[in-house]
Amino acid sequence: MLKDITIGQYLPGSSFLHKLDPRTKIIAVAVYMISLFVVNNFWGLGAMLVLSLAIVLISRIPLRFFFRGIKAIVFIVLLTVILQMFMTPGEPLVELGFLKITKEGVHQAVFMGTRLVLLVSVTSILTLTTTPIALTDGIENLLKPFQKIGVPAHELAMMMTIALRFIPTLVEETDKIMKAQSARGADFESGNLLERAKAMIPLLVPLFLNAIKRADELALAMEARCYHGGDGRTRMKALQYSGRDAIAGVCCLCMAAGAFLTRFI
Amino acid sequence: MSLEMNHVYYTYQEGSPAESHALQDICLNINEGEFLGIVGHTGSGKSTLIQHLNGLLKPSKGEVLIDDIDINRKDAKAQRKERRMRVGLVFQYPEYQLFEETVELDIGFGPRSMGLSEAEVTSRVQEAMALMQLDYNALRKQSPFDLSGGQKRKVAIAGVLAMKPKYLVLDEPTAGLDPMGREEFLELLGQLHQQGMTIIMVSHSMDDMARYAQRMIVMDHGKIQLEGTPREIFAQPVKLRELGLDVPTLTKLLLELKQRGLDVRTDLFEPQAVKAEIMRALKAGKEQVTC
Repeated sequence: MLKDITIGQYLPGSSFLHKLDPRTKIIAVAVYMISLFVVNNFWGLGAMLVLSLAIVLISRIPLRFFFRGIKAIVFIVLLTVILQMFMTPGEPLVELGFLKITKEGVHQAVFMGTRLVLLVSVTSILTLTTTPIALTDGIENLLKPFQKIGVPAHELAMMMTIALRFIPTLVEETDKIMKAQSARGADFESGNLLERAKAMIPLLVPLFLNAIKRADELALAMEARCYHGGDGRTRMKALQYSGRDAIAGVCCLCMAAGAFLTRFI
Repeated sequence: MSLEMNHVYYTYQEGSPAESHALQDICLNINEGEFLGIVGHTGSGKSTLIQHLNGLLKPSKGEVLIDDIDINRKDAKAQRKERRMRVGLVFQYPEYQLFEETVELDIGFGPRSMGLSEAEVTSRVQEAMALMQLDYNALRKQSPFDLSGGQKRKVAIAGVLAMKPKYLVLDEPTAGLDPMGREEFLELLGQLHQQGMTIIMVSHSMDDMARYAQRMIVMDHGKIQLEGTPREIFAQPVKLRELGLDVPTLTKLLLELKQRGLDVRTDLFEPQAVKAEIMRALKAGKEQVTC
């Protein structure tokens, strides 16, 4: 069950999108989100759909990764669509007792459903084409200007990096401890809620203990290598904008401008 | 009465592109009272194999029998559970599974979840601690987290022994112990074996295997590549090195001597036998020179 999580999954590749600077990608995703919610007619939405498909194709990531991501939010999308369909007041199309589907409702439902699916697909492209390290580097860099008003940019980025780094380790360890305790007769699968909660103790105690121990060791290892926070720290892979980012930037501007213009069609 | 694996296959992530065959056509029969060693380099399928022995993993194909009962068949659930309890599995670094407030409670966790009475649990804890040479009265009220590394491990293993398994499976039980602890621990295992327990041990150390195992299997790529007594296995140094393994230190010494021109047998590994063989060869060599 734990291995189905696709958030933060990275798929190595050498497409145009893989090579973009992470900062460009983060900003582009933000612009994309705004554009997606700015468009309010079917022409605009259609254009966004085509654009999103183009991005997906450029990323050269197998389509099933997107389907998997969408499968995870299928429930939310359905709920949104249904609620929008029935709850929007307006000109009724079909009436079933007290429930009625309105023209405006269908319109809203199609919009919200499409927006959600596109949003998830395109944001997952961000993580699928960017290594977690590059991503946190990008975030740190973008947050730098806000350091003056007290945003701990480096610390946030470091925390994110470490958290991402240890997810697979913890998953593996959970699996190992669960097996070890099952071998001693622990039962994680049956019983009522209280019994199940109690059955988690043999799992959680060693897990937390090891996590704390590991954090201690990590802190020591970092200190041993003279880690002292972000000040004056240089990077092995300094972020550098290139021609590609200029192209992507222009495309982004066009998209945003186009999105605003569609409101006047 | 035995542990039996018949044509067991195990595939990780079946059907996906990341599919990998961790076990392929494993046939293995472990007799009661035996000391079986399992060796193989990292990723050869050893750990996957032993997790099949008490039903933690279910074979993709094939069957696992504990005392003639297939532990993965759908019917007779209670019976299968009881059979699984006959196999005690000690994972690598078992001290990481300790969680209770006191040593006594932790060791008692297994028997208690088997549904035994408190009196029975206590007597089993005492027995298991005695087997592991832990002082019941001195340690029972201590927190397991305050103990030394070697003692923690003993407590963890006592936790498995308290379930009175007929078969004891250990994955790298000496990893991370200091030489003294290692020695002491292997002695203990040897004693358990002499008391009639069937022991299945996974190890990287050929020296440990040479000393204790009666029979060995060598794994590679999810298959059993070699099977036999330590003597038979260690007589194939070339094949072992191909599989990313080596022969025991003393056998290595004999091979080295032979390479340098001393005419010795190279299929020995017990300290006494090796010593006698080298002495004999030296003597014979001298006589030749004087002739």
